[in-house]
Amino acid sequence: MIKLVNVTKKFDSQTVALKDINFHIEPGEFVSIVGQSGSGKTTIIRLLISEIKPDAGKIIIGGWDITDIRRRQVPMLRRQIGVVFQDFKLLPQKTVFENVAFALQTSGGTRSRIQKIVPQVLKIVDLENKLDRYPQELSGGERQRVAIARSLVHRPKILLADEPTGNLDVINSKDIIDLLIKINEFSTTVVLVTHNKDIVNSLKRRVITLEEGEVSQDQKVGKYVI
Amino acid sequence: MFLLTINRSILFAFQSLWRNIWLTLATVFIISLTFLSINFLVILNAVSDSATTTVKEKIDISIYFKQDVKESKIAEVKSHLETLPQVNQIIYYSPDQNLAEFQARHQDDILILETLRELEGNPLGATLIIKAKELDDYPEVLAAIDNPAYADLIEEKSYDDNQIVISRINSITENVRKGGFIISLLFILIAALIVFNTVRIAIFTHRSEVSIMKLVGASNGFIRSPFILENVFSGIIACLLGIGIIYIILSLIQPHLSSFFAGVDFNIIEYFNHNFVVIFGSQLIGIIILNIISSSIAVSKYLNV
Repeated sequence: MIKLVNVTKKFDSQTVALKDINFHIEPGEFVSIVGQSGSGKTTIIRLLISEIKPDAGKIIIGGWDITDIRRRQVPMLRRQIGVVFQDFKLLPQKTVFENVAFALQTSGGTRSRIQKIVPQVLKIVDLENKLDRYPQELSGGERQRVAIARSLVHRPKILLADEPTGNLDVINSKDIIDLLIKINEFSTTVVLVTHNKDIVNSLKRRVITLEEGEVSQDQKVGKYVI
Repeated sequence: MFLLTINRSILFAFQSLWRNIWLTLATVFIISLTFLSINFLVILNAVSDSATTTVKEKIDISIYFKQDVKESKIAEVKSHLETLPQVNQIIYYSPDQNLAEFQARHQDDILILETLRELEGNPLGATLIIKAKELDDYPEVLAAIDNPAYADLIEEKSYDDNQIVISRINSITENVRKGGFIISLLFILIAALIVFNTVRIAIFTHRSEVSIMKLVGASNGFIRSPFILENVFSGIIACLLGIGIIYIILSLIQPHLSSFFAGVDFNIIEYFNHNFVVIFGSQLIGIIILNIISSSIAVSKYLNV
């Protein structure tokens, strides 16, 4: 599903963010990418959504070589990949429903499709009763669930979660991870970027460890070892 | 889906217009000023053309024949002058017509009428009024009249040389036109810069939405179009506002123009009504194009999509 072949990314001649990265994530896998700050975890997410391009190597997603993807094809790629971030990226002036619907509106979803899909995804994240609330009226965990719901509206095959529990307490973090597991059970490939040791250890799934821009370990059932 | 995308782009553009109302007002104001300055030139053109035409129409050469010159001789002169390529029209006034006209003109002047009565017969001769095709043609027509063969026939000839008036009108108009043109160019430049800056601020204001739009796979066109449409709408609003202001100005200046062009069929409001589509349509299209270009440059520079 996701294949990185000898991927290198430099931000300037001095800073090598990723160096000769190789890994292959199968469809339906749940993979944690761990590492300290500056190890290159977020750079991998940015490469996967084609926000930046690699300096060397190849990136293939679902058989599509996106290494030199054209600018106008990027929206098509992003509709196939759901992304959630630590800071939720919700619009404060829009309600829960509108925030989720926004993803469909901006990609040309019809009104009937929006009315059908938005309640469905909000039900998955257990927020079907808070459609009219604004983000500031929700807890951190609920906000992240809205962000996850939004990432699911295009029924992506891949969900990238970049430090989704970074701003949450232990209980809310567990809820979010449980939600990601649930989404993974619907056969969505989940890539979790985190440096939360407890979460990674509790998952008992594949762990790719990055150290200074290189893959130091890739364990089928891994643990946070740094 | 295409129509849906356009609908949503328009909706987002209107939302943005409303959310940044002060910025919108500033943009509308400056585009309106541009619009007004251009139309000031249009008004100036119309008025100066009409003024020049009016003065030109008043120019002619009058040949006053001696009292005893026979009508057949005058007809001969007339026929000769009509063969000149420079001559547009020659009107013949017989001595009787001239007398009647003279009496009518001085009907309230008893002294003149008494004097006329004391004179026996008609003291006036016949007259030819000559109009040339172009202003530059008059000297040649005058030269033809100066023919020695006609010297004994002609009592007097008069040429109201309004050339000075015309050249003065042209000179003033030309100077005002140049000034207006420079001011218009300046306003166009300022308008383009304001529009550019409006888009830059709008992009900054909407940076969260833009980043989320990119994240969820909105097409580049969809992200760009509201910013461009927003300024197209500002341009249209500014033009409508400008048209309203121009008609107010026209109704204020029309009475003054009427007295200036006394006796001439010239109405600036009717001129604008008659040329409404050409004048305002071309300017509206021009302003829309200016806004699209300016917004597109700002969008491609700052939006990074």
